[in-house]
Amino acid sequence: MTDVTVTTDRVLELIEMYGAETGAWPDAEREAAAALLTASPDLFTAALADARALDQLLLNEQLPEPSLALSEAILASAPKPVPVRKNAFGGLFALIFPQGVRWPAGAALASLLMGLVGGYSYASTGIGYDQADAAYYATFGVDSGEDWLVAE
Amino acid sequence: MSGISELDQITRAANGDRTAQAALVNRNMPIVFRVAYRMLQDRAEAEDVTQETFLRAWKTLPDWQPKAKFSTWACTVALNLCRDRLRKKKPVLMDEVPERIDTGLRPEEALASRQAVDRIESKIAALPERQREALSLCALEGMTNIEAAETMDVSVRALESLLARARRALKAGLNAELAGEI
Repeated sequence: MTDVTVTTDRVLELIEMYGAETGAWPDAEREAAAALLTASPDLFTAALADARALDQLLLNEQLPEPSLALSEAILASAPKPVPVRKNAFGGLFALIFPQGVRWPAGAALASLLMGLVGGYSYASTGIGYDQADAAYYATFGVDSGEDWLVAE
Repeated sequence: MSGISELDQITRAANGDRTAQAALVNRNMPIVFRVAYRMLQDRAEAEDVTQETFLRAWKTLPDWQPKAKFSTWACTVALNLCRDRLRKKKPVLMDEVPERIDTGLRPEEALASRQAVDRIESKIAALPERQREALSLCALEGMTNIEAAETMDVSVRALESLLARARRALKAGLNAELAGEI
């Protein structure tokens, strides 16, 4: 910004267009123009006084405030929050898993644990396969095939 | 709203975030209203334009491209709406001149400032449309020359020409009035 060259005429233009306050001047020219203003104040005294008088008058502008009803109406017409969308099978899913997916998953885990515990308990009794089979067949009254094996 | 960029705010507002919407309205609605009021010189019409501007904003926000500040975009829309209304407006008859808005000042204060206020406001209102737009955006709303030029869809050079002519016209009008009083 400091390499911008501003002439006396340009500073006079800036005062005429943007007023006496350097803060209102274009960013790109402000620094160089303010430096020229400080270096040769006499060149700009009349123009600044003229512009300052108009700036003061512009500050007198009194406009009505927008009503509260206006902001309420504007906000009432604003977009509403987007609802979370259910997928196409959302209804079926809810029917199958009314309690959500955690309940079936918990039941599956419990079944697995029961199987493991039962299996381990059975194995740790030391009962052999044949005895267990025999007990099974005896219980249900089925031929264990022992007679057939003996005959053979 | 420090720490939240305007783009974040716009994105949230587009998704229905009420806080972001309220912040966007609170920050930008007054400037849109003032710009519209200066152009139309009528409160009800300025409010209509302001509401219409935000209706368009709500539709635009989901596809918002951060090319310009929201206030610049909103003032552009508001000015276009004002121009449309001014084009359609019939000449105002004397018995239709809108009443001055009550500023809420005490009688003695109002009396003291009335002349200066009336003087400058009537002079601003009498400016040609484009000069009034330039003065409103730059001198009265504090937009940068680049923002104001973008809002008005003119070059910075053209904006500066409009500003210079507006201020010259105001000074000439006020000087003529003062000379007449003496």
